[in-house]
Amino acid sequence: MMKEAAYWISLAHLPRWGHLKINTLIIKFFHENKISVEDFFQLSETNWRETYQLDEKQISDLKQAKSELVSNAFLAESYLSQGFEIIPIISPEYSKTLKSNLKATHSPAILYIKGNKKILEEKSIAIVGSRDASQIALKFTDNIAKLASKEFKVVVSGFAKGVDKQALDSTINYKGQSIIVLPQGIMTFGSGFKNYYKQIIDGDVLVLSTFFPKAPWKAELAMARNPIIYGLADEIFVAESSEKGGTWSGVVDGLRKGRKIFVRKPELNEKNANLILIQNGAVPVDFDGNQLTKVYDSSNADIASVVQEPNDTESLESKVRSAFNGRPLTAKELLTKLNLNWTFNKLNSYLKKLEFIEVVKEKKVNLYKLKGTTETKQTTLFV
Amino acid sequence: MTRQEAELILQRTFKLRKFYDEQWLTIDKILKSEKVLLIEKTGFGKSLCFQFPATVFKGITVIFSPLIALMRDQVKKLTSLGISARCINSEQTAEENTQVINEAKQGKIKILYIAPERQENNEWIDATQQMNLSMVVIDEAHCISVWGHDFRPAFKRIINLVKLLPKGLPVLATTATATKRVEQDVAQQIGSNITTIRGNLMRDNFKLFVIKVSSEDEKLIWLGKNLDKLPGSGILYTGTRVDTEIYSKWFEHLKISSTAYNAGLDADSRIAIENGLMANKWKCIVSTNALGMGIDKPDIRFIIHTQIPQSPIHYYQEIGRAGRDGQPSYIILFYNSEDRKLPEAFIEGGRPAIKKYDNVIDAIKLELLGERDLMKRTNLKQNQIRVIKADLIEQGIIREVMIGESKKYEFVPNSQPLNTKAFEELRNVKMQYLENMIEYVETTKSRMNFLCDYLGDNSNQTFTNCDNTGEKKIIVSITPDWIEKLQNFREDYFPELEVEAKGSKIVNGVAASYYGASNVGAALHRSKYEKGGDFPDFLLKLVLKAFRKKYGQEKFDLVVYVPPTSSGDLVKNFAVKVAQVLKFPISHNLQKSRQTKEQKVFENRFLKTDNVSGAFTFVTPNDIKGKSILLVDDIFDSGATVKEIGKLLTNFGAIKIAPIIIARTVGGDLV
Repeated sequence: MMKEAAYWISLAHLPRWGHLKINTLIIKFFHENKISVEDFFQLSETNWRETYQLDEKQISDLKQAKSELVSNAFLAESYLSQGFEIIPIISPEYSKTLKSNLKATHSPAILYIKGNKKILEEKSIAIVGSRDASQIALKFTDNIAKLASKEFKVVVSGFAKGVDKQALDSTINYKGQSIIVLPQGIMTFGSGFKNYYKQIIDGDVLVLSTFFPKAPWKAELAMARNPIIYGLADEIFVAESSEKGGTWSGVVDGLRKGRKIFVRKPELNEKNANLILIQNGAVPVDFDGNQLTKVYDSSNADIASVVQEPNDTESLESKVRSAFNGRPLTAKELLTKLNLNWTFNKLNSYLKKLEFIEVVKEKKVNLYKLKGTTETKQTTLFV
Repeated sequence: MTRQEAELILQRTFKLRKFYDEQWLTIDKILKSEKVLLIEKTGFGKSLCFQFPATVFKGITVIFSPLIALMRDQVKKLTSLGISARCINSEQTAEENTQVINEAKQGKIKILYIAPERQENNEWIDATQQMNLSMVVIDEAHCISVWGHDFRPAFKRIINLVKLLPKGLPVLATTATATKRVEQDVAQQIGSNITTIRGNLMRDNFKLFVIKVSSEDEKLIWLGKNLDKLPGSGILYTGTRVDTEIYSKWFEHLKISSTAYNAGLDADSRIAIENGLMANKWKCIVSTNALGMGIDKPDIRFIIHTQIPQSPIHYYQEIGRAGRDGQPSYIILFYNSEDRKLPEAFIEGGRPAIKKYDNVIDAIKLELLGERDLMKRTNLKQNQIRVIKADLIEQGIIREVMIGESKKYEFVPNSQPLNTKAFEELRNVKMQYLENMIEYVETTKSRMNFLCDYLGDNSNQTFTNCDNTGEKKIIVSITPDWIEKLQNFREDYFPELEVEAKGSKIVNGVAASYYGASNVGAALHRSKYEKGGDFPDFLLKLVLKAFRKKYGQEKFDLVVYVPPTSSGDLVKNFAVKVAQVLKFPISHNLQKSRQTKEQKVFENRFLKTDNVSGAFTFVTPNDIKGKSILLVDDIFDSGATVKEIGKLLTNFGAIKIAPIIIARTVGGDLV
């Protein structure tokens, strides 16, 4: 039971405050003054004014938010009893990828989720594109989802028609894991929960929203969701974009924020804006998502990867390195992640030779971790 | 606000002069935004402890109450005082409820009563977003505790709600019935910073009697002789729904005014009976324990139990409805040593077999299911499904979710396996409670002291208000004339079959007997399953008698009978005889249009309905048009078959379909 749910809901949706102002306030009361959100709401107006330097408008907003606490408690009870969860930005469960991509300026104060929240800790890619994408874009989406699933990367998508839906369905098909980022409040996703029931309870799909739980679908919300999709992903793949619309503005926004964005290099006869995005700084990739250098060369034969395929040993070492996600792993988990059918002994002797791996014992079980890393307990909001 | 100031408002608004000390103690804390658990006996004036602050607060006070009758009653009273109070409940139409919700959003309501189940309703949750709420009240708070006499799963969510409420919102939980154990459980669940205020629960205006008998006949005869001699009007509680019918028919036979009540009645009938109770329309209402909670009638003069309740706390709760005016009231309990079997069966049968829990879990793991689908997938009775669901939700194995407007159940990933130890523990405690109830029967000391001690009252008072301490013991004497009266009644009493439905010309029918109540069931079983040949003639006699009683000299145009599933021509041969004696023509044209299974295989009415849905046809529909039809069958259980045939014959133009059945089962889908 998350006792402070009503407080977080009230705080996260302060009207027209924007993420930065809300996050700054959270940093101040939670990290600097070490008080809970509940205690913060109990403070006197004088205290808000003097300790937190809030102006009259802000204080009046907070008073309004405070008066909505009872209503939000009713909502929160209904919300939590149905298995939805709230992850505030101060929680260790909050997506680190999202936080480091969006920073205090754009990170939402809370995530509304349902499903396996451990997925938020995994490596992730986003696949985005038009609602009315071409067959080739959908095939590309399917292929990228397949490759990601093989590598245990989570596929983030936006649950729109076309590319989004393809990304989700392909990932499910390849037994991968997905995050659905909703363009609406999470409690209005009724039929979606019915359709993806099995995947959700099996832990393969996480549904996530940053909007007020009861907010219905709106075009503005669909736009506002795009940065969340980008933020949740380590890598971003664009299957197809037209010259306006959600995908376009999402990519442009991403490029402006300095994200590296992979765009499928279009065939000559394709009518879309992929090429324009590439000219604007996006990175062209082939059908398998590999980076291409010669952007304007239409002949496949000339295409060469920027990154040379590393030889086998190097490749395995780097795979081992990236298998870790801040927590120690058992031999069994490592074998699954690396997709190896070695014996435990073989893996053990191999790992011992790697100087960047250390072994720790926990309850008589050998756990492997990257040297020098500790189990990350976040002490500050943004690292 | 000082007490003096508050009492000035009290006089103006409630037309009452003063608070009792314990009332003010509570109200003072509520006005200071504290949390209080208030345990006071029925009639103390608990409601004022939230109604008064509610009129002072700016916003709305929401009262969660499981008792619709109480909601109605209190709303009526508050309205007459000019206080804007409303309720939202399942007996009002959706439009009425929406209207109330709109008024609440506009701030036109001070006091709003709702059932705890409302927290599952989206319209309600959405509406709370626009309400200014000042206080939350949990009435009948013992329902929070599994150790109480009336645990209700929906209260679990109210507890969660209270934990989510912001600091500084006043919360009041009230009950009239809580042992120390329940008190502590409730207080602990509501959480820290709660003050418990407990008054004493004794009722010295009660006259407590236990009548020991050695048969059901002795109960019927004593009541037949003495019910009219008791002062005023009151309630007779029986153990089962069937007994409410038998006892009330017995009184009808003796011309003692009574009516039967149970939770299975429709809302209109229930309201009519509750109003009749208030107006002393009958000497006695014969009821299951569904009646009376929350009914604010000050002068219920007697409460009689023909069956021991499961525990002293159940008993205290039920007798607490008598004598609120402080005038003497008779509290009588019949006890036959056989009687412990019924509560034992309730306790033992309260939980379905573990295998059934596993079936439910497996079904929900595969699919998101509603209650109805779940019953169909698992072939479980509705009441069993409900027990299982509540337990699985309680243990965090499944949860209830809303998909649009429909309620579904989903599996909770990574949940713990079913913990059956908890069931064992609860069962043992309940068995202990039953032993305590029997101790009440057997005690030779003051019965009032026994109850007070049991409830945790620290009272050293001496009572002289029971058959151990000053009142005369009641002994039943059986005389031949009464044995004969009872015999006559038994031969003249036939169970009613309630099958009437909108859009169907079927009328309520009659059965010759209850299946298990006499030798009827055994005779049917011999013929059906032991190759005993045709149904014996005494069944024919009984059926004809039932026919005369129910339908008198009425003529029917046609006799039809339900075609068999597996027992050959038994019903056909029987129907032929019935038709011969009554001199009505018979038709053999009601037939199966597809194979069905025996209805008894199915545990719930949905599957029974599915099994027979569209399963019949009448090969010469013209024979039916404009006709009145007598429909014969051997056993009546859920009524699904008869209703289905009723629909079919209605479609073919029948003007009346009247069922006559040899035996009706007891304890079908809904006990």
